[in-house]
Amino acid sequence: MDVSQYLEIFIDETAEHIQALSDGIMVLENEPEDKDTINEIFRAAHSLKGMAGTMGFKRMQHLTHDMENVFQEIRNDKVKINSDLIDILFDCLDAIEGYLDTVKQTSDEGTEDNEVLIKKLNEYLKKAEDGGSEAPVEEAKPVEEAKEETEETSEESDYTTMHLDEETKDAMKKAEDAGSLLYGFTVQINKECLLKAARAFLVFKAVEDFGEIVAYDPSVQDIEDEKFEFTFHIVVCTNEEPDLDAMKKAMGAVSEIDSVEGGKVSVADFHEKDAKEEKTAEEVKEEAAAPEVKEEAPAPAPAPSAAPAPAPTASKTPAAKPKTNKPVTSRTIRVDIEKLDSLMNQVSELIIAKNSLVAMSSSNGADTQSQSQSFHEEIEYLERITTNLHESVMKVRMVPIESTVNKFPRMIRDLSRKLGKPMELYMSGEDTELDRTVVDQIGDPLQHLLRNSADHGIESPELRKERGKPEEGSIFLSAYQEGNNVIIQVRDDGNGIDTENVKRKAVERGIVSEEEAENLTDKEIINFLFMPSFSMAKKITDISGRGVGLDVVKSNIEALGGDVEVKSVFGQGSTFTVRLPLTLAIIQALMVEVRDEKYAIALESIQNIENIPVSEIKYVQAKEVIHLRGTVIPLIRLDDLLDCPPKEDDPENIVVVIVKKGDSFAGIVVDNLIGQQEIVIKSMGKVIENNKLISGATILGDGEVALILDVNALF
Amino acid sequence: MSDKYNLEVVEEEKNQYIVVSIGSEQYGIDISYVDNIVRMQKITRVPKSLPYYRGVINLRGEVVPVMSARRKMGLEDDVFTKASRIIILKLEAQGMVGIVVDEVKEVVSLGQDDIDQNVHSTKGDNGNFINGIGKNGEDLISIFDVYSIVDAVENA
Repeated sequence: MDVSQYLEIFIDETAEHIQALSDGIMVLENEPEDKDTINEIFRAAHSLKGMAGTMGFKRMQHLTHDMENVFQEIRNDKVKINSDLIDILFDCLDAIEGYLDTVKQTSDEGTEDNEVLIKKLNEYLKKAEDGGSEAPVEEAKPVEEAKEETEETSEESDYTTMHLDEETKDAMKKAEDAGSLLYGFTVQINKECLLKAARAFLVFKAVEDFGEIVAYDPSVQDIEDEKFEFTFHIVVCTNEEPDLDAMKKAMGAVSEIDSVEGGKVSVADFHEKDAKEEKTAEEVKEEAAAPEVKEEAPAPAPAPSAAPAPAPTASKTPAAKPKTNKPVTSRTIRVDIEKLDSLMNQVSELIIAKNSLVAMSSSNGADTQSQSQSFHEEIEYLERITTNLHESVMKVRMVPIESTVNKFPRMIRDLSRKLGKPMELYMSGEDTELDRTVVDQIGDPLQHLLRNSADHGIESPELRKERGKPEEGSIFLSAYQEGNNVIIQVRDDGNGIDTENVKRKAVERGIVSEEEAENLTDKEIINFLFMPSFSMAKKITDISGRGVGLDVVKSNIEALGGDVEVKSVFGQGSTFTVRLPLTLAIIQALMVEVRDEKYAIALESIQNIENIPVSEIKYVQAKEVIHLRGTVIPLIRLDDLLDCPPKEDDPENIVVVIVKKGDSFAGIVVDNLIGQQEIVIKSMGKVIENNKLISGATILGDGEVALILDVNALF
Repeated sequence: MSDKYNLEVVEEEKNQYIVVSIGSEQYGIDISYVDNIVRMQKITRVPKSLPYYRGVINLRGEVVPVMSARRKMGLEDDVFTKASRIIILKLEAQGMVGIVVDEVKEVVSLGQDDIDQNVHSTKGDNGNFINGIGKNGEDLISIFDVYSIVDAVENA
């Protein structure tokens, strides 16, 4: 079966299940008795296993299967959850994620078997079995699985180790009781064979001349679907004593059959074998696990059911499955069906509006007065539809930041263990929506900030105690919408930024002189942290402190059209505030005019607009300022800034657009205000984008290009 | 077989060039780089950009930067007439770029034999974006090196 068309869905859904598992395990760590969560985890693990199996990712299936077994035991109260187990489970999740990444890149799961993990999982199972009184049901599963694996992987397996279900055995028993004879055969098909199922079918056909086939391994269905390697086993039931060689010959006569082996068997053999099964499986495993044991120094007794032997597994690549190494790159987005419905409705309205315009243009008999009236009505209607349509499309692009921030609790947990500092991440506002492109790219900067908080922010438990804080550090990640912006805050109750230390460093590095440093405000000092290669970590850890942290965060966020700010009180903690535009493509802007040029200023950065008499302009250090309601605001003459031709007449009043960036203000002097408008941001092409003042361009209603001023560059 | 081969060779050797006039000279632009030729339209000035950029225009909903060949070559500034055109070049690395020219004359096919590669610029630095002189009958056509004319060299 060709499953490649499902690959994208598989990737999407696997990611979801992994997230669900991760969330669940986090909850479980704190509330090990929560039955609902356990059930949820179990379901996720089960679906994961099923999907991996369907897609033919055997290694992934194997791992998830063993995880599922562990969850099963947890569900049955046979295994107690402790942090060791949680660690193993998280490692397993990482491994599955590893598989997923490989699948994404190559459409194949790769060859990593993760035996160590599987072994660890099975140790837990074993412990559970030893402890629990009855475990056969649960135990059967891994053994069965292992057996299947063994048969698939090991070439030596033959008809005597066939895997039969009870029903078949019953049927065989009956036939035997009726005096029939049973013969087992193992057929080896040539490895070059392309139509294995057809060959198998011919073999069956040949055997049917001698007797009835009572048992197949793998099942007949699997053989027909070519779901087997190059060997299969059958049991034939005949009434009279046949010529064994003749049977073998008949089967061997089918082309592309390498070898046929066979012999008399009885049901008792199989029963006996079943009894031994566990033991043999164990032996096989022991062998498989042996090399591992040596590597993993203090390894406990081998697990009852462990991984398939590594060597054959690695070499075993189904020849029938074409190897597609094409990376799966297309990105999908999940859209609420309601959003799509409203989109659909608006498109139908658009068509209706178009039709009435068409009808109007073809009916030229009516008097022009009424025609122009209804024409205007239609235009208004059209306007309304396009506005709604735009809104709907934007909504479709919006996704909750949940998908990005979800992985953070896990990260903080890992960091907490690694650093030996107890800490907890509290998140709020995960459902805040942002443009898909922003959500995709905000992950890294946020991760950096969180790592920063965990590593540098939160103090050691001893110091915290000394300072009278709870031993466990808290990191808060909160997101909320504010006007056209989304604010994401990373706050910790840790050490805060030691401005004196930063100042000293800045002087050391020659960024400022000592005298200059004395006059710096705390804010200016903190801004040093955002300079490239200015790391405050006393020693480099692998968590943060390579000096490529905050400056990258800042530039990443600025690339998304946002900015980042820090507030910090030494000894009490720091807050990083990331401000992001809701969407990248379309913004509300105020259109202003300078001479005959039009510029757009993003509405979100505008505080207010003032009409000020020229006489109120004051001078501070030869720079123009205005004094407005208690605040001194520097003036920026847009015409000077943009090298416009000088103005002929000096007006009595000037129009000042007051813009803000963080806590600072500036007044932009323009000639004229045009009005508020929704504008689509366009790139200006690579060759001309060489100044920071202009962040892009937009096309106005009349087709003219207007430039967008980047207010942040004015400060 | 050999005939077909020869035909291909002939086709490969002849390149088509759009002949434009800038000042008193004629220049050729390899047609494979040309996306479009548009009439003069309002160009929005971009402050603080390199001086030889005239600004940006709206080309079917896309914003395309437009440079002045005259400014880049150090000639006197453009005077827009009815014959003025903007040649829109499409380059892999730089995207779309427009170049203002005085007039578009014709399209000529020139083989390698018709182009004299041995050009020594006498104009100094500003003449570096010519990589050959084509001979079309009596006329001489300077062939633009499209990439170097678009490259941001701050010398104009």
